[in-house]
Amino acid sequence: MAINIKKVDRNVSMTFLERMYIPYMLHGMWVAIRHAAINMLGFFEEILAGKSKRQVMTLFYPEEYPDIPPAYRGKPTLVRRDDGLEACVACGLCEAACPPLCISIIGGERENGERYPVTYTLDGTRCIYCGFCEEVCPKEAIVMSDRFQGLCEYDREKMIYDKESLLVPREKLQKRLDTIRNKYFSEKRYR
Amino acid sequence: MDSIVSLITQPLVLELLITLVKIGFILGLTIGFFAPMLAWVERKQSAIMQDRVGANRAGVFGITVIGLLHSLADAIKLIFKEDFIPRGAERGLHTLAPVIAIIPSLVVFAVIPFGGQYTLWGHEVNLVIADLDVGLLYVFAIGSLATYGVVIAGWSSNNNWSLLGGLRASAQMFSYEVTMGLTVIGLVMFYQSLSLVDIVAKQENFWHWGIIWHFPAFVLFLGCAVAENKRVPFDAPEAEAELVAGYFTEYSGMKFVMFWTAEFLEMVSISGMCVALFLGGHHIPFVTQKFLLTAFGDLLGQDIGAVVVMLIGVGVFITKLVILLVLQMTIRWTMPRFRYDQIMKLGWKMILPLSLCWIFLVGVGILTGVMPRP
Amino acid sequence: MREEDKERGYDFHKASHTETMTINMGPSHPATHGTVKFFLTLDGETIEDIDVEIGYLHRAFEKECEAQKWNGVFPYTDRLDYTASVLNNVGYAMAAEKLIGIEVPERCKYLRTMISEMARMSGHYTNVGAGALELGALTAFIYFIEARELLWDLIESICGARLTHNYVRIGGLTNDLPDGFRENVKRVFAKNRKLWDDFDIMLTKNRIFLDRMRDTGGISQKDAIAWGFTGPCLRAAGVPYDVRRAQPYLMYDRMNFDIPVGSTGDNFDRYLVRMEEIKQSMSIVEQCLEQMPEGPINVDDARWRMPSKDDSSTKMEPLIFHFKQIIEGQSIPAGEAYQAVEGANGELGFYLVSNGGGKPWKCRVRPPSFALTSALPLLVKGSMLADLIPTFDMINLIGGECDR
Repeated sequence: MAINIKKVDRNVSMTFLERMYIPYMLHGMWVAIRHAAINMLGFFEEILAGKSKRQVMTLFYPEEYPDIPPAYRGKPTLVRRDDGLEACVACGLCEAACPPLCISIIGGERENGERYPVTYTLDGTRCIYCGFCEEVCPKEAIVMSDRFQGLCEYDREKMIYDKESLLVPREKLQKRLDTIRNKYFSEKRYR
Repeated sequence: MDSIVSLITQPLVLELLITLVKIGFILGLTIGFFAPMLAWVERKQSAIMQDRVGANRAGVFGITVIGLLHSLADAIKLIFKEDFIPRGAERGLHTLAPVIAIIPSLVVFAVIPFGGQYTLWGHEVNLVIADLDVGLLYVFAIGSLATYGVVIAGWSSNNNWSLLGGLRASAQMFSYEVTMGLTVIGLVMFYQSLSLVDIVAKQENFWHWGIIWHFPAFVLFLGCAVAENKRVPFDAPEAEAELVAGYFTEYSGMKFVMFWTAEFLEMVSISGMCVALFLGGHHIPFVTQKFLLTAFGDLLGQDIGAVVVMLIGVGVFITKLVILLVLQMTIRWTMPRFRYDQIMKLGWKMILPLSLCWIFLVGVGILTGVMPRP
Repeated sequence: MREEDKERGYDFHKASHTETMTINMGPSHPATHGTVKFFLTLDGETIEDIDVEIGYLHRAFEKECEAQKWNGVFPYTDRLDYTASVLNNVGYAMAAEKLIGIEVPERCKYLRTMISEMARMSGHYTNVGAGALELGALTAFIYFIEARELLWDLIESICGARLTHNYVRIGGLTNDLPDGFRENVKRVFAKNRKLWDDFDIMLTKNRIFLDRMRDTGGISQKDAIAWGFTGPCLRAAGVPYDVRRAQPYLMYDRMNFDIPVGSTGDNFDRYLVRMEEIKQSMSIVEQCLEQMPEGPINVDDARWRMPSKDDSSTKMEPLIFHFKQIIEGQSIPAGEAYQAVEGANGELGFYLVSNGGGKPWKCRVRPPSFALTSALPLLVKGSMLADLIPTFDMINLIGGECDR
């Protein structure tokens, strides 16, 4: 298809109005005032009707919560199975795939022969929230939750998460697990 | 008790008391009301224009009053901030500079009439602190003092950015001082007075308002005034992206607040000048003061009626002031800033010739009778 | 005037007993925001000499790549030009695919084209908006930031992050479009077009802005080519070189768009070119969505895509292969490849060398803003201090990309 070259208009020979500074300043101010008027109207509507959608972009953050899309990559969490044990089998794939090397696992075996992580440490100071751990995990045991609050600490020691602090029951992560199913399990990906 | 009453009713003491009340009112209006309110308005207005919410968090027991308390919080914060004087700075001048910057913008208010003349209980009350015959000259004389504060601040801080800011400010403010003076010459010719009280009094009829006959001078004057005040688009002396903060880079705490307040007060005084010169002071369009006085006099009695009319006059003055302030705020938030040499070029090559032209035109108009003088 | 003085053997400074002022601009300065330092010699307000010091954001990206597996590099490429991350993703992925010699499926190409253009828009929004901000027009800046936020909402709904997208993989993409994406694009672009108009009204015809931008920081065509300019800055100088047109990659040969070209290479031309490119990018995104066929988004070759979970969670052999792929990395055949994409600032090239192992043996990035920044002294010497601000902004030094 056509890729054309288009010369931009440098506006070298300004019109008289442009030379006079003020007319186009007023035009610019008119734009700002229009935004202001629309927003004021929005505020009044909100005060009067109580539920009108504001025109402003920003959120009253702690009171209002942003819409988080299902694809959001928040804090990595381990899935706790319905029987209370961790879904992780300590295969070490996330450890190998993690670009900044923030995961370290020591695996062990339960009496019934099932493998499990004795320790699972995720260094929050190193994690870059890339989502590779989730992408490679063959057991859907680590997922990126939608949690983005409380990830900063004054003390770095507190940012090194151990297994217990990473484990979240499966029901709470169901939405994300479904997203992963869509994302990484669909046949559509390559056929 | 009787002695106090007799003391008060002595003409000289009464005069003194009334002047003190007027000074108190002006100080309260500017420092007490406009300075903190403008800080709030600047925040909120910009926020609303920019699809934001603006500051609304500071509150006492959960009462936030749509962000009004931020001014209070700021004041408390800035009072308790460290007063920092950089090494190698000229300590005395560094401390003096903000004071020099803030005083002229306050003192200018002495000659701005804010409500007209009334007779209350047989006593003449003129709502202006000092009715000078040469009020306009006084304004320019005092206004040019503000330059020293800025220049001294820039020089004494021992910082290259401050120095550049001070240099820019001195050149800019001196040039616009000249131009600003020339823009109002036409007005002086028109009203045949240098006293602001006279000029306001002559604008009682709406068709004699300065803005009707001198609209070009109004635009030029406002432009010069914004330049004089160093606000966007003429804020080269404190251009944030170039000079960090210009002449007040090295200021903190209350000294910084003084520069900041000086800017707001200057805005108010400029608007006050504009209202007095061009927008008819305390007059309401198509309503004469006489009409109001008789109307309220019949209704409430002579003296009380005069008080009410006085209050209305002050209210009208403040309303016009606020409109101009909002206009200046809108300009500040929508314009990019000039380059330093462009400011000078605009001042000397565009506004100065234009104002000279305007003086000539007004002269021709008055001579030929196109502009009937009030 | 200076030149004449020189010929007469007259030294202005000596005669008038003035000295030049040397001043450090940055790294902590509102205009350089920590990424660069200028060592300025000022004669009054005029820039006599300028020394640009870069490297404040150097983090050994190229060396770091050698420690990562082929796919593990992607999160780090995000941090090159962080205002337009996906473009870096795409560039790296395409270089790696060139090394392997595979073609990604059509839908994947369309998706990559689409998200590249979104990233370009985001880069230009940031750049042009910041230009307005640094000239003092805060409201215009906020309008473009608002537009960018809306755009980032779209990108976030695709790949789950606003800034570091990490969306592309060798041989494909992580995921397909979410539900309701087309409607969102329609809604967001309608709003963004309005904001674009508002921004345009506030600045493009404003004489103050014109005076600040026009005839500052200009560069001739010849100089621009000699200094290695690419992207909007080169096109502003009048050279219609665009990687999308010169060496069409992905689906650009099927798209219908204009390449804006300036004439003098000054800041105003750069600004106009970027503004026009935002518009063109919007139209490209819409064309992509229109033309996009159904189909796979990854290559049908298990060696070169990220392992697929549906096989590895049910069958033994794919699981073993999955483990080998992740732990050892994809063994991309030995060789070297260079692939350029049109980044937000210009030609963004990735030069990859493989020795057949699971990690890149060498990953070299050609950052566009490095060449642009190196020409900064040429652009601003002799002009005023205030001209440095729009020039530096329109050069668009992105620390992450320039310093790597």
